Amino acid sequence: MKLAERLSQAIAAGIRRIGQVSIRPDLAGAAYALCHIEDEAADPHSLEIHNGAAAARDISTWAEDGHYRFTKSELSLKRGWILRLSSADELKQALDLFYPAGVGLWMADKDDHLKIEHLRDKLNRQTGMYRFARNLGDAGAQKLVREVCGPSNCCVKKILWQIDSNTPLEDSEASRFDGVVGAFDRQAAIPLLCREACNHFVAEARKASKAENDAKR
Amino acid sequence: MPFTPKPHAALLIVGHGSTENPDSSTPYFEHADEIRNRGLFGEVHCCFWKEEPSMREAGYMIDAEEIYVVPDFISEGYFTQDVIPRELQLEGPTTRRAGKTWHYTLPVGVHSSMTGLLLQRAKEVAPDANPAETTLFIVGHGTGLNQNSTKAIRDQVEHIKASGAGYAEVLDAFMEEQPFIAEWDKLATTPNVIVVPFFIADGLHSYQDIPVLLGIETEPGEAASQREVFRHNPHHLRGKTLYYSSAIGTERHIADVILDQIADFDARLHETR
Repeated sequence: MKLAERLSQAIAAGIRRIGQVSIRPDLAGAAYALCHIEDEAADPHSLEIHNGAAAARDISTWAEDGHYRFTKSELSLKRGWILRLSSADELKQALDLFYPAGVGLWMADKDDHLKIEHLRDKLNRQTGMYRFARNLGDAGAQKLVREVCGPSNCCVKKILWQIDSNTPLEDSEASRFDGVVGAFDRQAAIPLLCREACNHFVAEARKASKAENDAKR
Repeated sequence: MPFTPKPHAALLIVGHGSTENPDSSTPYFEHADEIRNRGLFGEVHCCFWKEEPSMREAGYMIDAEEIYVVPDFISEGYFTQDVIPRELQLEGPTTRRAGKTWHYTLPVGVHSSMTGLLLQRAKEVAPDANPAETTLFIVGHGTGLNQNSTKAIRDQVEHIKASGAGYAEVLDAFMEEQPFIAEWDKLATTPNVIVVPFFIADGLHSYQDIPVLLGIETEPGEAASQREVFRHNPHHLRGKTLYYSSAIGTERHIADVILDQIADFDARLHETR
């Protein structure tokens, strides 16, 4: 079954949220409508109406304070909009713009097909200017998770990877976070999943690795 | 040549992306929208090196069992030959893995149909300039690390010269290697000069760096979305009339180059069978 059809079935069965996006079937005269989770109770007429999946990129590119949201799982989605979508295909396309691959990663995880890559493997395959990131020590990597990942650092993904297959992440807000924003029924939300460290993390790992190296001199 | 629709296949456009400037990934999404709206593929997706979805995540968005991967890059080099195959786990032009077939085409910038787009852009940016009195510069970054990045530009310069477009001179120039675009007024002997950046996206290079090297701007301005720089043509500078274009990759018809690259891939695949 296509991902869009499975998504449609999941919504029929009660799924209502992903990240900071609320999924609303049969609202505002559209097959599906999306809005910010903090605008769920707002009068739809008070929200700015957008139509079609492509608008999801415009809505999600800039935060309220004007900064560029290059990490889409950042806890900074702006409010005040409603996005009308005409089909399950459009819904899937829009959600892939708000939370790239988020729906597919969740379904692969449910199917037990999600491949997780631990940090060491990710860093060891880096080349070019990022090759130096592989020299980061375990303690430095654990510290970096606390400083880069998790809701307090603005990322709301559930981390599935470890340092390596024998070294789990140390307990922290980042390592505990379950990928669902706010106090909400976990069964009615698609958790945002982090199957390998992102390239932002790798860039920070490179900096931290260089700092470790400089400190040894 | 009309493109034969592939309703059972997916198109995956791979771009660089940026953590600094969203305009960097805008062309990729626009090219994807253009092809999606024509209904030529069952699915059309983008993935990136510096943005989400990453190449490793991209497969999780795709239903189709046959996937055409097109690098929306200017030249062959480190990204198209090392990074993309590594991240997408591609073993050659065609890779079969876990029930899916991945076809990997050449980058858009090396396709011969780019020549027509460069000429069209030059005409749009300087409609009144007589080609016989005009030098056309195709500008790249240039780096001592990879000869391929300059080869793509030198090839296009040769194609344009052979096209009969009538420009007095067609020259390659670079930001960081000879011939330097900063010396455009010395390199060009004609009264009119057109500069087209051979980049996929508008970003710091086309908003700031090249305008400073040309002398249009005195120092780098603000970081993001400085499209104003393209709206003040022509510039009367250093005794010449200068027309400056946005990056060629922002051209809507790059979508056609993507399709051309896929058609060529299929033709080669057919030949080897």
